[in-house]
Amino acid sequence: MPSRSVGDGVLKDQANAVRNPVDSSMGNILRFIATIALCLPCARLAADEVRFNRDIRPIFLKHCTACHGGVKEAGGISLIFRDRLLVEGESGQIPVVPGKPKASEMIKRVKSTDPDEVMPKPKHGSSLAKEEIALLEKWISEGAKWEQHWAFMPPVEVEVTDLKHKRWISSPLDRHILKGIEDAGLEPSPEAGAAEWLRRASFDLTGLPPTVEEVKFLEAEWKADGEKARKKTVDRLLASPGYGERWASVWLDLARYADTYGFEKDPHRNIWPWRDWVIRSLNADMPYDQFTIEQLAGDLLPDPTPDQILATAFQRNTQTNTEGGTDDEEYRVAAVIDRISTTWTTWQATTFGCVQCHSHPYDPIAHDEFYEFMDFYNQSEDSDLYSEFPKLKLAGEEFVKLESETRALREELDEEGRSISEVAWANMQDMILTPQYGTLEADDSGRIFSKGTLRRGVTHKVSGLAGDFDAMKISIYPDSPDPKDWPEMGVMITDFLMEKIAADGTRTTVSMAEVISDYLVGSSDPVSAFAQQPGGEKFKSFIGLGGSGAGGAGIGEYPCLTGPRWFVLLPETRVVLGEGERIEVSLKQGATANESQGTYLRKFRVEVAQDDRYAALRSNAERTEKWQRVISNRDRLAAMKGTEVPVMRDRIKGGKRDTRVFARGNRSAKEHSVKADVPDLLKKGYEGGENGNRLDLARWLVSGENPLTSRVMVNRLWGELFGIGIVESAEDFGTSGIGPSNLALLDHLALRFQGEQGWSMKKALREIVLSSTYRQASKAASTLIERDPKNQLVARGPRNRLTAEMIRDQALAVSGLLSPKMFGSPVYPPQPAGVWNSVYSGAKWKESKGEDRYRRGVYTYLKRTSGFPGFLTFDAPSRDTCSARRIVSNTPLQALVTLNDPAHIEAAAALAGRIRNRGGSIAEQLSYAYLAATQIHPDTETVAELTALYEDLKKDVHTVSANLGPDPALTLTANTILNLDAALSR
Amino acid sequence: MNDLEQRLRLSELSQLTRRHFISKCSTGLGAMWMAGMGQNAFGASSKLVKDPSHPLAPDVPHLPGKAKRVIYLHMAGAPSQHELFDYKPELEKLDGKECPKEFLEGKQFAFIQGIPKMLGPQFPFKQHGESGAWISDRLPHLATMADDICFIKSMHTDQFNHGPAQLLVHTGSQNPGAPSIGSWATYGLGSENQNLPGFIVLTSGGKNPDAGKSVWGSGYLPSVYQGVQCRSEGEPVLYLKNPEGVNRDMRRRSLDTLDRLNQKIAKETGDPETVTRIAQYEMAYRMQMHATDAFDLKQEDETTHAMYGTEPGKESFANNCLLARRLAERGVRYIQLFDWGWDSHGTGKSTSLKDGFTDLCKGIDRPIAALLKDLKRRGMLEDTLVVWGGEFGRTPMQENRGGVINKFVGRDHNPGAFTVWMAGGGVKAGTTYGETDPIGYEAIKDKVSIHELHATMLHLLGFNHEKLNFPSQGVGQRLTNITKPGTKIVKGVLA
Repeated sequence: MPSRSVGDGVLKDQANAVRNPVDSSMGNILRFIATIALCLPCARLAADEVRFNRDIRPIFLKHCTACHGGVKEAGGISLIFRDRLLVEGESGQIPVVPGKPKASEMIKRVKSTDPDEVMPKPKHGSSLAKEEIALLEKWISEGAKWEQHWAFMPPVEVEVTDLKHKRWISSPLDRHILKGIEDAGLEPSPEAGAAEWLRRASFDLTGLPPTVEEVKFLEAEWKADGEKARKKTVDRLLASPGYGERWASVWLDLARYADTYGFEKDPHRNIWPWRDWVIRSLNADMPYDQFTIEQLAGDLLPDPTPDQILATAFQRNTQTNTEGGTDDEEYRVAAVIDRISTTWTTWQATTFGCVQCHSHPYDPIAHDEFYEFMDFYNQSEDSDLYSEFPKLKLAGEEFVKLESETRALREELDEEGRSISEVAWANMQDMILTPQYGTLEADDSGRIFSKGTLRRGVTHKVSGLAGDFDAMKISIYPDSPDPKDWPEMGVMITDFLMEKIAADGTRTTVSMAEVISDYLVGSSDPVSAFAQQPGGEKFKSFIGLGGSGAGGAGIGEYPCLTGPRWFVLLPETRVVLGEGERIEVSLKQGATANESQGTYLRKFRVEVAQDDRYAALRSNAERTEKWQRVISNRDRLAAMKGTEVPVMRDRIKGGKRDTRVFARGNRSAKEHSVKADVPDLLKKGYEGGENGNRLDLARWLVSGENPLTSRVMVNRLWGELFGIGIVESAEDFGTSGIGPSNLALLDHLALRFQGEQGWSMKKALREIVLSSTYRQASKAASTLIERDPKNQLVARGPRNRLTAEMIRDQALAVSGLLSPKMFGSPVYPPQPAGVWNSVYSGAKWKESKGEDRYRRGVYTYLKRTSGFPGFLTFDAPSRDTCSARRIVSNTPLQALVTLNDPAHIEAAAALAGRIRNRGGSIAEQLSYAYLAATQIHPDTETVAELTALYEDLKKDVHTVSANLGPDPALTLTANTILNLDAALSR
Repeated sequence: MNDLEQRLRLSELSQLTRRHFISKCSTGLGAMWMAGMGQNAFGASSKLVKDPSHPLAPDVPHLPGKAKRVIYLHMAGAPSQHELFDYKPELEKLDGKECPKEFLEGKQFAFIQGIPKMLGPQFPFKQHGESGAWISDRLPHLATMADDICFIKSMHTDQFNHGPAQLLVHTGSQNPGAPSIGSWATYGLGSENQNLPGFIVLTSGGKNPDAGKSVWGSGYLPSVYQGVQCRSEGEPVLYLKNPEGVNRDMRRRSLDTLDRLNQKIAKETGDPETVTRIAQYEMAYRMQMHATDAFDLKQEDETTHAMYGTEPGKESFANNCLLARRLAERGVRYIQLFDWGWDSHGTGKSTSLKDGFTDLCKGIDRPIAALLKDLKRRGMLEDTLVVWGGEFGRTPMQENRGGVINKFVGRDHNPGAFTVWMAGGGVKAGTTYGETDPIGYEAIKDKVSIHELHATMLHLLGFNHEKLNFPSQGVGQRLTNITKPGTKIVKGVLA
């Protein structure tokens, strides 16, 4: 083809031809909307009392909050909180004086004709309409009553009366729909046929189409007793294992579940056992309150089961950055912030993320409240490490019990050591500092400073004279004395050697007994750095990890130093120094953090003390026995076999992180410290008090007093079934979101869900699917579609495109290829070569063999930086961040997937084989395939069309190719059926 | 059905969906995207309204834009400005000396430890063209085009790791989940060719970029605006080819049946989405032909192949440059090239400035010069914006990983200064904008941030960057990142 001018001529012309009418009609629409917007207030003005939410808040949002909101508080005025409006602004004037519009500065300003005085300022926007000003005046004279935004007020059951089509109601929710339909002057649509309802219900509940047999069976029963037949069917669907697999996808989008770490190398992450936990829990209908508590804080429940700990992997689906040189603290904080956003989007549909940098622009949430909330998540042990510590080994109850017992025992040992207080620590005298690289200098107080270019594995030596001593204390300090600058780069002494040096230079190694820490965090226990551990044969010299590696076991804190730390090392026996004898310690620093950087000592101190209490501790037989138990338990734990999954675990009490407010959201500009709390706006039901943790947070969400949790969840269920939520912006119920299309319905569902239904998702879904609302036929007159294009009134049944997973699963199910195998590590169905091309990663797409090739979509390997193409094309999210809904698109690339993807061709060939094996005429075979793929009984015209296609294709088949099976024409006809709009919709 | 009939039918279909669209509008913004979202908070004036049945229909920008399309050449790994464009005789003098302390205080490096040594430019520089632009001897062909190029020497970023820095360069945010520039451009402008994806990505060097496909993701924009990665070997677009054993006639025949049965369904259910689906299948059918044609490099003559250094059938940057021209010609809105391997740390031969880096320069020099020449001779350079750059710069110090000087000559990451150049669509040709300090370590004069570069690119495309918005997380989000207010257009680079 010759080159030619830009664009495809034909299409461009078409586009031009239609653009203008559209544009002008858009102009009209906008004017039309503007007119409505202006008319509505005037209609209300004459009527009853002014209502803040209905009449005043929209005026504020439209004209004022951009400058007088939570972000900018121009002139010291914010219109987000009422009390702020009743006090003087910077001008000395009071914006609102309740009952006195004339005394209110706000009214003066909006009425002013002086360009320097008038609000909004002319360059910021047009003045308020007369009607708007009148509303503000009326509002103030009526006392300037404030209303909270609807979503932050508790749900209320509204009684519905005066319905015409009462007989249509079969479920309590139907009255709320009927009210809307009747108020709009419409009627409900007729009931769908059994097959249409069954297709819809089967996909909605299990993600799979019904079989031809199930259709025929229901059709027969439906005639006899429709209600009974439907109930039986719904119970069957809800009890099928496919239910958990279908609804897991919804939850996995929110949880940003993927099988890799994310970022550059994007390595594999074993977190699929958590995905299986979700499927199992959904199938068991775990109540949503428990489902919430276990995922957010299962580890903090008393005596948690392995499953309860596994559940917390929900918040370990954050990304880990393993690229060389990336700051572990930066990405740890990014993960913490992601956990905050995910919690707020998933349970509260509130845009909390913007509070990171400033107070919420529209909703009454203050800047500090973000960081108070952050404190809940800031205490977790994980810190962007390649090891993904902490992890749970899936080795049953025994592992969990033993591990927790061992941790408690280890803490007991430290606590005994820490209880020795007021020890007379002293510097060594006549210190000699020997740096291997760089410089070492001590100040007058004996603090030692290490500077210069160091190399990994650098070993500093410090020696001095000392009296006889029982213990040596190593204190490690951050560079900066200001806690606002912490945490800093970690510090790790990976090997430690203590020697006596006689006057003639002879060296004798001093064996060590144990180490006492101020507190233990991370995967590193100082004692595990030594080759011989306490309680065993006494350990000796240079004994650690060999001085390299990123794991960082040793003395110090890794990967970050959160503040000053100390460690007391107890030699095996009291160290007695002879005349002229020196003591020397070698401190090797071999660990790297941030994937590439040394964790060197920068400021530290070495002291010694003689104290009988340490001597007693060392020789305490009971203590030695405890040490032995710790060590042998650890050996047993290490020997147990099981998949390791990253989970949540908090740092121990003594090692709590100091959570500080970030100025304007900037991590490197920290301000004052804050304590864990939930925002005042939604405080009800929070019982964490002063020392709240994640468990208090989780319990608060499902306390029943939180106005959002239940609403957000039922809205999600509704949105999945009807294609659009009652609140369309399922991710944002705040003032910046879209208001509910039917608040009474939303509240009814929410109250029932957390009340009578006891947070049972299955009960909630059952009620909706059995309602008259859901049972309507989707067929609609064009007038109704024009009237209610998004079907928010639900005056007709829903008709939605299948989700990405459903499209694949249906093709496999209809063709008989689908494997019923559940759970386990992710699988690799066919994917074009070369799609995976990650840097520094040898990961390969190893196409699954056998039944793993035909598993349900939820089990497909999900690599963050390179998603499964067939899914991404059909609007599946990349799982980088929490996603509350999939916006459905319709593109030619989708057609290419279902027409040409070898997996879809394989399914078509299998479907062709299936119908051929059934026998009968081609018309009968195709008729069966059509019914199987769409649950529509084809009419003669349709069958004739398909038969003609088959016959025509047959003439065209000249070559035989394996992928198309023995009858390529039949395969291609089956492929056509699977591409029908009726096959891609539910 | 012959071609003409086909086109007529398509136009009918298109009118039909348009009618649906218009009628939906009159009933209250119907199924249009975005229109409803956040209307309370943002007002409707600056918002684009998209027809979901034609999400890529060409659209008119806020202002008359000089550039109609973009070809972005990203050297993934971050090429050294010291060896290509930012000539610093001062640095030459400091070569081998210990780095002064003040250069290190308060700095964070990916790999450099303690006190490294300074490293002078490794290759000779000369001035080129009437504009006298400094270009090293590594890019002799590109040097002949100096007078068509505007060099921005004063780029800086706040990310010094590849993944986050690449995300920042392409999405305005260092974290995954924000839409890429190409997504914004196709969201704002649609595409001029409905038979090809509007936003196409081509990679070379055997790897995807470090940040993975998020750098051409659509983030919170509808997924239809995500970049489509095409390949210069194998099928250009995934699943483009009919299955083996199915020829175009057979496909046409089966689509005819699909059309007729879908029409029937559309009539029965009244669902406008069905009508859209019919149109999308027809588009897919045409895409099969048009994309195959667009990616067929064999259609180019010998002279062109010689000019670009192309070898059809291979994955190479040269092939991608020629493809970029062919796609630009066909009205693709945003063409994104990634060439991988520019991370010259000097830890091995392939990352040594003397070896791997030099080879990479050879791989891009001729093709980029050819692309600029080719666009120019076809009169397309004036409305095609070509952008070249990496994700950050490199240090004027030699890398000393783990405290030891690396085996080969290399440089660590440096967010403080790097060079990006632009050419074509509305850019002031033959200029150099901004300056770095005497050792090319920090941008000091007329500094340009990534967000300012984005604002400028959007301006060239006809958009006010503050007004090209999409609601997410309760705010009208934009490419130039609402958390970085005050971002300005770089006027000095505009023609």
